[in-house]
Amino acid sequence: MAESAHHSSDMWVFPRSAEVTEFVTRKTFTRPGPVTLAMALTGVLLVLGIIGFVMKAAQHGFDDHTPWGYYAAMFSFVFMVTSTGPLAAAAFRITKSHWRRPLSRVSEIFGILGIFNILLFIPLAIVLPTLNNPDVGHHELALRRSIWFEGPIGSPLWWDLFGVIFVGINALALLWLSAVPDMAEAYEKATGFRRSLYGMLAGFWKGTKRQWLIHKAGMALLGAWYFMLLIFVHFIISSDYGQSMIPGWKDAIFPVVYSLSGFQSALGLILIIMFILRRFGGYQEYIGISPFWSASKLLLAFSLLWCYHMFSFGITYWYGRTELEQNVLKYLLFGSYGGVFAGNFFFSFVMPFLVLLWNPVRKSDWGPALAGASALIGAFLFNIRIFVGSFNAGNVYGEFITEVPPPVYPGLSDILIVIGGIGGAAFIYLLATRIIPIISLWEIKEGLLYQKVDTFIRGRYLVLAKPE
Amino acid sequence: MQEGRVLPARQINRDLLGSILYSPRWFWGAVAVLGLIVMGGFAAAGLMINQGMGVTGLNRPVMWGFFIVNFVFWIGISHAGVMLSAILRLSKAEWRRPATRAAEVLTVFSLMTAMLMPLIHTGRPWRLVYWIYTIPFIPYDFARGIWPNIRSPLVWDPSAVYTYLTSSILFVLVALIPDLAVLRDRTTGLPHKIYTVLAMGWQGNPRQWKLQIIAGVLLSALILPVFVSVHSIVSWDFGMAIAVKPWHSTIFAPYFVVGAVHSGVSAVAFVMIILRWIYGWQDYIRHEHIDALGRLLIVVATGWFYFFVMEVIFGFYGREADEIAFRDFQINQPPWNLWFIFFVGLTYFLPVAMWLASSWRRNLWLMSIACISVNIGMWLERFLIIIPALAEKQLFTFTWYTYAPSAVEITIVAATFALVSMLMLLFARVLPLIPLYDVKEGDILKTEIQIGRRTVPATFRED
Repeated sequence: MAESAHHSSDMWVFPRSAEVTEFVTRKTFTRPGPVTLAMALTGVLLVLGIIGFVMKAAQHGFDDHTPWGYYAAMFSFVFMVTSTGPLAAAAFRITKSHWRRPLSRVSEIFGILGIFNILLFIPLAIVLPTLNNPDVGHHELALRRSIWFEGPIGSPLWWDLFGVIFVGINALALLWLSAVPDMAEAYEKATGFRRSLYGMLAGFWKGTKRQWLIHKAGMALLGAWYFMLLIFVHFIISSDYGQSMIPGWKDAIFPVVYSLSGFQSALGLILIIMFILRRFGGYQEYIGISPFWSASKLLLAFSLLWCYHMFSFGITYWYGRTELEQNVLKYLLFGSYGGVFAGNFFFSFVMPFLVLLWNPVRKSDWGPALAGASALIGAFLFNIRIFVGSFNAGNVYGEFITEVPPPVYPGLSDILIVIGGIGGAAFIYLLATRIIPIISLWEIKEGLLYQKVDTFIRGRYLVLAKPE
Repeated sequence: MQEGRVLPARQINRDLLGSILYSPRWFWGAVAVLGLIVMGGFAAAGLMINQGMGVTGLNRPVMWGFFIVNFVFWIGISHAGVMLSAILRLSKAEWRRPATRAAEVLTVFSLMTAMLMPLIHTGRPWRLVYWIYTIPFIPYDFARGIWPNIRSPLVWDPSAVYTYLTSSILFVLVALIPDLAVLRDRTTGLPHKIYTVLAMGWQGNPRQWKLQIIAGVLLSALILPVFVSVHSIVSWDFGMAIAVKPWHSTIFAPYFVVGAVHSGVSAVAFVMIILRWIYGWQDYIRHEHIDALGRLLIVVATGWFYFFVMEVIFGFYGREADEIAFRDFQINQPPWNLWFIFFVGLTYFLPVAMWLASSWRRNLWLMSIACISVNIGMWLERFLIIIPALAEKQLFTFTWYTYAPSAVEITIVAATFALVSMLMLLFARVLPLIPLYDVKEGDILKTEIQIGRRTVPATFRED
């Protein structure tokens, strides 16, 4: 533990380098009671979700997209959060933020959910209406508005599917690459399935200088590529399943708001997991307050940016005053989904802002986690508002939204689908933490070389090495 | 990182106050040349006021031309100050130290220059006085019993820009106080008296330092919303005009802000290279600083490009006739299509390609070219947003027209560049363009860490 003139003693933590592997692998290989309970609970939720899905499919089939609004919202929420998760590790590594080290693996493990996302996406790919209107009626478009315009081959279905698949594969690659040195190190201590898995995935790793250089360059390149790919896929998913389903809604800022919601909610969930690990998981020696403090500033920035972008959309539409703009505002913001929007606004902006405004709160583990939980709820409501709204906005081939449709409330199958999707994601994440160390061994050890607490005049301060 | 050596405080004072205490021989010559260009600009503006707006290329329907393009451009440049100073100060980026002052000062001067543009564009600048005051302290509208339309850009823009200008000046002044005290102690006569007043009794005691640091951090945090609001409001001058379809886009505000940061940071990087060259500040503005700015610019440029792509895609998305006509005009019709290619190439592809290589980022000539390229591109961007949209504003083709700037407009716009350069030079003559105390503080915080057999440069964190 380190003390400083300005901070509490657990601001920065310096575990003993020699004990890191032993401690973290022991934690990974054992399964404490609460984790078993959580896995059982989330497993049950997943089963309920499957039941809900079967009910929905049996009741409505896949010919009409409108009954699948809550499914789309659930998919988008899970995808938004879990696909953005790995970005935190990649981005903070590129910016060489030392405080990132304890949260890197927490965020990278979300990559395992890439497969889950692909599976969740398949029914949505089936229900998405084609671009060409099969039966052009009065005041209808022969080709509905979409980001694909005249519709290149396979659009939007195959492009969206490939997008989700590529994001999933890339996230998995990022996780594997980052975990290779840790798996190689844990190989000696592992037995049974874990040992053979580590041998298969990381058996080639010897830790030579050349391997480390390739590892480092690979992480940077893959991280940068993942960032661009993810933004693109956020753009196509939010446009194809959100915006283009509401006739006439033309909003260039919407994909940006979608990505921002993703950044905010993913960081929020990472902070919640870090809080749980620190408070209840026995990782106090590995997770100091510093990552909470630094990440909370970013969370505050994302909350402000979310509000700014929503305001930019709102004021432009409000000022425009065309019938279409008024109808979109009434539908998504103030009328049909007004209550959901109020909740969305409160949890995505008001609460995180009020919580994170205070430095003493930012300098705690509970404050950022609380704001993160709020951001997560906000993102959930955002997805309900947008995707349930867009799937039930009426004729997708219409020129404009001429009437404001009423809100659609969830049925039993919808509720089961939503809790099942979220529970399933949590189940898979928990399962992954039993195999891959949730604390990045090599990054923590690297950090111990680069950081120390030293005396400066009369106080004790953190010293950060700048090797590059 | 941390390539520079730790310099003694005495040498830092001597080097960085050199531009004030010992004027270089070329200084007044350069000021005179720039002053002549500025005078030329004022003469052109005088001619325009005397002869009327007919001497410009403005016409119906293109009623906004070079002046408004230039207004948006200089507002954009002003964003460098806050981006570099406030954000990097809050994020404790060590490499910010030599860049902050120049960025803040550039903000102030570019804002002042920007506000000249609408004034000149009115054609009858004195009417602004009527708009604000008829008789002392009585606002015009109040005197006549009418109230300004708060939805008008004429209310939005001055409110936002003057708030930003006031806070930027405050920001510069607070950061200047310790350096003003150094100047106070090294001058005699009238300059000594002026610096004494400006230094406000600074003694450098712990309480004063604490207050100065708190004020800096608070101002940094407070100025950020102002910085974002200014260009957002400028963008809404366009975005709220539903009569011009291509402007009525929800993304305009962040798109303008990111674009402004892009051009502003590029401008600061270029100014720093120039300062290093003309004043010989190689020990202070080092390759590592320019390199860091280059890396930052890759991120900013890519962010800008994303917003640009969104703006264009959703321009086509609606498939509305007037929007398509505008895009066709902007992207397909010569010579606009050529300008469009230049704009995208100069703003993104050329500079980013150059910044990707570390050796190119560290080459000051190439870095200068990249930064100038960005600013030419960003100027063209504003031109291509404003002119083609107005030229084909209406659905009826017989109302379409085009625009060519006149010599008067070109002279006035050229004079604004000379004006900002001249003001920067004059500022460097009286106040330090690199903050002395910030550089000294950075040196004090430098240390080293032993990793195996290597000694690695390190820094004490300020918090």
